[in-house]
Amino acid sequence: MALAHDAADAKKADDPLDSLALSAENVQHNLRIAYYCRTFLSIVAGAIAGVLGLTGVYGFLCYFLVMLCASAGLAAKTRFNTSAFFDSWHRVAFDGFLQGLMSFVLFWTLVYDIVHIF
Amino acid sequence: MAEELVLDSAIRDWVLVPLSLVMVLIGVLRHFVSKCMSSQPEPDAKALKESQIVLRARYLRAAANYIPAKSFRMRKSYFNNEENGLLHVPKGQGQNVQAQMLSDPNMAMDMMKKNLSMIIPQTLTFAWVNFFFSGFVTAKIPFPLTQRFRGMLQNGIDLSSVDVSYVSSRSWYFLNLFGLRGLFSLILGEDNATDDTQKLMQTQMAMQMGGFGADPAKALGAEKEGLDLVQHEWLLPQIEQRAAAVLSQILA
Repeated sequence: MALAHDAADAKKADDPLDSLALSAENVQHNLRIAYYCRTFLSIVAGAIAGVLGLTGVYGFLCYFLVMLCASAGLAAKTRFNTSAFFDSWHRVAFDGFLQGLMSFVLFWTLVYDIVHIF
Repeated sequence: MAEELVLDSAIRDWVLVPLSLVMVLIGVLRHFVSKCMSSQPEPDAKALKESQIVLRARYLRAAANYIPAKSFRMRKSYFNNEENGLLHVPKGQGQNVQAQMLSDPNMAMDMMKKNLSMIIPQTLTFAWVNFFFSGFVTAKIPFPLTQRFRGMLQNGIDLSSVDVSYVSSRSWYFLNLFGLRGLFSLILGEDNATDDTQKLMQTQMAMQMGGFGADPAKALGAEKEGLDLVQHEWLLPQIEQRAAAVLSQILA
């Protein structure tokens, strides 16, 4: 999928010395890429939870685990220098955390039913 | 109470997967139809010019400290002076003409068309689901829910001893409705017709920037006052010392 390539395109903000000067367009581009990554990973997390047959709290744990891995991956992609790509590090870590929840539940239900119930 | 019900795999083949597939396809169809049907409103030259002027004044305010004081004052008077300054709006003028032209007919038609194009497929699909797929257990939700959800999720099923996790097709439809938004944003790109929140934001932004009603006069007046308020402090005099300090910090 084009994800790795897109993340490699994450552009640098303008002036690394002056932390106030960030190019807004680039920051938005990077945030959009992060959102796509999280959406895709929430669908994958739903499939994982369904295949493994997780129910109840464990399923949601799996979702949060995958979201944390997504944050870690994004941080590693920026070589832990998040201030050069995003305006604040907790924005990249926690933004869009709960937006993938509905997709996760949908695919979790779908895969769980297909694999285990039927 | 948590007995495992054995469900016919025909349900999976003919209800679960086809319903999701149909909703994805309808979403894609709706996206392309709305793209074909969307009428681009002609940009109004005057409103566009005014919004560009406001942008220029905003840039001037943001970067005021990088130009010498005299240049800044010259630019400021170009914008603000009383006779022919760009930001100066003579009192009764800007409001009436644009209020009628831009705001009500076109915008209202656009919004109604967009709303309709969202509501009709949803209603039709819901009616189809209700007609064909009611009265049996469709899926099992992997997490437990309280008894209060029973009425909402199990409306075709009249047995009260069935676990609340076993839901009917109506709830599967709603689950799909909310869950497929993420999928649509992946396969259709950012600007797709299925995302309601996006569309609300877009219509709001279009209404603000298209400049109808009293907005341009207010925007110009606000910019003018903002420009009046700027204190000019030229950053460049100490620039050699600061550059030397930064460089020595890097190279050290």
